[in-house]
Amino acid sequence: MNYDDVEILFVEDSTDDATLTIRALSKSGFSNKLHHVVDGAAALDFLYCRGIYSGRDSSQYPKLILLDLKMPKVSGIQVLETVKSDPKLKSIPVVMLTSSNEGPDIEKCFELGANSYIVKPVDSDNFFHAIKEIGLYWMVLSQPAH
Amino acid sequence: MKKTDADELSIANKEIAFQHQEKEDRAAELIIANKELLYQNEEKENRAAELVVANKELAFQNTEKENRAAELIIANKELIFQNEEKERRAAELVIANEELAFQNKEKENRAAELIIANKELAFQNEEKEKRAQELIVANRELKNAEDDIRLLNEELERKVIERTAELEAVNKELGSFSYSVSHDLRAPIRAINGYTRIMAEDYGEKLDDEGRKILQSIINNSKKMGELIDDLLAFSKLGRKQVTVAEVFMNELVQSVRDELIFDEGDNLPVFDVHPLPSAKGDKSLIRQVWINLISNAVKYSRHKPSTRIEVGAYDEGKMVVYYVKDYGAGFDMQYYDKLFGVFQRLHSQEEFEGTGIGLAIVQKIVDRHKGTVWAESVLDQGTSFYFSLPKI
Repeated sequence: MNYDDVEILFVEDSTDDATLTIRALSKSGFSNKLHHVVDGAAALDFLYCRGIYSGRDSSQYPKLILLDLKMPKVSGIQVLETVKSDPKLKSIPVVMLTSSNEGPDIEKCFELGANSYIVKPVDSDNFFHAIKEIGLYWMVLSQPAH
Repeated sequence: MKKTDADELSIANKEIAFQHQEKEDRAAELIIANKELLYQNEEKENRAAELVVANKELAFQNTEKENRAAELIIANKELIFQNEEKERRAAELVIANEELAFQNKEKENRAAELIIANKELAFQNEEKEKRAQELIVANRELKNAEDDIRLLNEELERKVIERTAELEAVNKELGSFSYSVSHDLRAPIRAINGYTRIMAEDYGEKLDDEGRKILQSIINNSKKMGELIDDLLAFSKLGRKQVTVAEVFMNELVQSVRDELIFDEGDNLPVFDVHPLPSAKGDKSLIRQVWINLISNAVKYSRHKPSTRIEVGAYDEGKMVVYYVKDYGAGFDMQYYDKLFGVFQRLHSQEEFEGTGIGLAIVQKIVDRHKGTVWAESVLDQGTSFYFSLPKI
């Protein structure tokens, strides 16, 4: 598989949420250059071209990271912290996906430099709408440094 | 005879001489007597003079005696007067004596009484000593009781601290529980809703009307459950949220709430009649939620009334401002009033008016946390007025 022209790195441990999110993005035309990983460790492997991603072109970075907050092993917060403290990665827009707006995590995300966050709504209509908006905004309107 | 004559002559002579001598002696004696007489005369004169003086002296003494007699007469009178006085005084003394005797008797009586009283006092004293003893015992008991109370208090305080810590722990646990509920409970519902929607979109055509209706019911119900979870979370979050009090400008706030509320077209929007609203002390974001809930309720329950209106106003009541939202909508039966502000309590069916039954519970909790009161008046089918009070600025 060619990972070099991946535009969206999608980090989500829930198969269901991943299926729905990918469907929403594909309906909006953003799914072709999307790569889905199921935990934070895999996300960092992808970004740093480690493990199964060792063959990836390390000069190429995704244009957007969709990052689930709560994941096993390496959490979304930890991935965010790593990305935003690495000079080479920190300009990639990171949109946090959370299951709720409860808890202190959201504030923490913004402190660490998250660009936006989406509370995954129960109603998938709203979800599709939100994902589409986010995709449009970060993929089309904003021009990342990389 | 010639001798006898001569002798006689000599004797006569001698006789004569003797007589002569006698005469001379006699003359000398006369002189001396004379002198003596002279002397006596002088003496008599002196004596007479002395008598004159003595006479004068006697006359003076006489006068003195007369004076003295006069004085004595006066003194006598005085003595008589004094005597009378003394007699009177004696009479008085007799009376006084009698009085004293009487008093003496009285005193004796009194003394007898005092002896009795003394005995009584002695008895009372004994009683008091007994009482004092009892009091000492009671005091000791009280002291013991106080010690017990102090111990109990300390115990209570310790328990309060313990319980507070426990409660804090439980609260924290509840916080993470809320987070889990929000996070983990929503995920499967989200999946149900999402997959059902996919099924309706991708396979809807392969189903008949009944099948599509069922899919729509699953979508509606999962959406509803999501709302319930969100509302429940919002409600539980209220209890933990810090209330930051500042002046809240109500007309501004109500206007922004009205602008923000998006009503469905089918809601048959009533006319808003907003009176001037004084400011109050409150947490703006929380008070905003109160207005959102009350105004959207008023709109919701006015839905079935054609061309109706909603009135928003306020009035002063002591140290509080009372705000009200009055609609002319469906109303409710006041006999169910006690259920009005309960969590998940509803007075209308989902078919009549949708809702999770948490909006008014949230309103009540917010108003409570501001030390205000919320209440309502309603007539079935004629409308409802909701009132809430907040502290004045």
